[in-house]
Amino acid sequence: MAAIPNSLLAALPRKDYQRLLSGMIPVDLGFGDVLYEPGKPIRDVYFPSESLVSLLTLVEGHLALEVGLVGRDGMVGVPLALGIDASPVRALVQGGGPALRMDAARFRRELRRSPSLQRALHRYVYALMAQISQTAGCNRFHVVQSRLARWLLMTRDRVRSGEFRMTHQFLSHMLGVRRVGVTEAASALQRRKLIEYSRGNISILDHRGLEAAACTCYQRFKP
Amino acid sequence: MRARRNPKQNHLLAALPATDLARLAPLLEAVPLELGAVIYESGGEQAHVYFPTSGIVSLLYVMKDGASAEIAVVGSEGMVGISLFMGGGTTPSRAVVQSAGKAYRLDAAQIKLEFARGGALQRLLLRYTQALITQMTQTAVCNRHHVLEQQLCRWLLLSLDRLPSSELVMTQQLIANMLGVRREGVTEAAGRLQAEGLISYRRGRIEVLDRAKLEERVCECYGVVRRESDRLLASHAAIAA
Repeated sequence: MAAIPNSLLAALPRKDYQRLLSGMIPVDLGFGDVLYEPGKPIRDVYFPSESLVSLLTLVEGHLALEVGLVGRDGMVGVPLALGIDASPVRALVQGGGPALRMDAARFRRELRRSPSLQRALHRYVYALMAQISQTAGCNRFHVVQSRLARWLLMTRDRVRSGEFRMTHQFLSHMLGVRRVGVTEAASALQRRKLIEYSRGNISILDHRGLEAAACTCYQRFKP
Repeated sequence: MRARRNPKQNHLLAALPATDLARLAPLLEAVPLELGAVIYESGGEQAHVYFPTSGIVSLLYVMKDGASAEIAVVGSEGMVGISLFMGGGTTPSRAVVQSAGKAYRLDAAQIKLEFARGGALQRLLLRYTQALITQMTQTAVCNRHHVLEQQLCRWLLLSLDRLPSSELVMTQQLIANMLGVRREGVTEAAGRLQAEGLISYRRGRIEVLDRAKLEERVCECYGVVRRESDRLLASHAAIAA
């Protein structure tokens, strides 16, 4: 059998995993796809494998800040695991690629049947909460350049690649700063030869250097 | 003589079906929450969960260099110690009593056992977890996007909702630590609110004089957290029914 590309699923007993798998559909998430809107019912959950999904809050109707980043380490749709049907955030695909999808009703049934899935999701929710608190703290104390470095590293860890597509506009929503702030920070990292950035493509050139440039928050949440 | 026990002063415990509460009640230990007491430390293991019946516990995210910022407040509507049943082990946050009060606490092994039963308590705690996530999320957004004065208003209103009176015992230095800003900033913002008659501040006590005006001044973050909390209470009623 092929390796299970999502680590949350990989942690389940084989029997539970097989049953879940039979209820899931492989999908290809496209860059920029919106999976959930705030306040709207969650229709499906997603287990990303090569894809990456940002959880974003809105302020006065505008994209404000990324509060969570879900990749092969997790699941998009955790409110369902907490007994809540609506998403409090917008879920936006920021790294296109494959994921497994399951409809909400089936997911609720499977969750009731599988204590190991429950435990895995509870642990994951807790890790996600730690990520949110860290974002709150990091936003308060750290400068844009360190936060950008952290964000690039977190993205790399989840897509397992040092190259990805990303616009300044997108990054400004992720970090909750104005576009010009992102441009300055990215240029500074580029001048230090830590990254290369051209036409919406980012390559990490020196990941050790980037780790040194990132705030300490990254080390704490390194997978 | 022992003080009269009433676990139902905590909204989560109050929402439990009678049989569940009856099973839990003998295991609950009444404890004081003393101002400034650290309930658990960042990176540490917790021995108990706490269900406050009065007072406020502040959850602070602690940076490596020791700087901290509040990410959520918990009063009689909630509980402290989620990592115990969510299987998170240690926590990156510190829980400090921000306003003295009382709580019931439950031993770590007991809460794990109760949670694993999968009944009404589990459903309540999971829903509460989502409300807490909303609060943390909103704090992160607020830290990023709103000016200190709005943040101060949010903080005052969230505290006020968890206190029986309109007065908070609190120094400006402590507020600065909660918000993760310098004291001067808090002094300036509080000074403006005082000059406009919204609050009165003297010797470590803040009294809210005009709550309606404070609600006009606050950013939307307060409303988001408040609505989530109200929605949760409504759903508690559904669980208990």
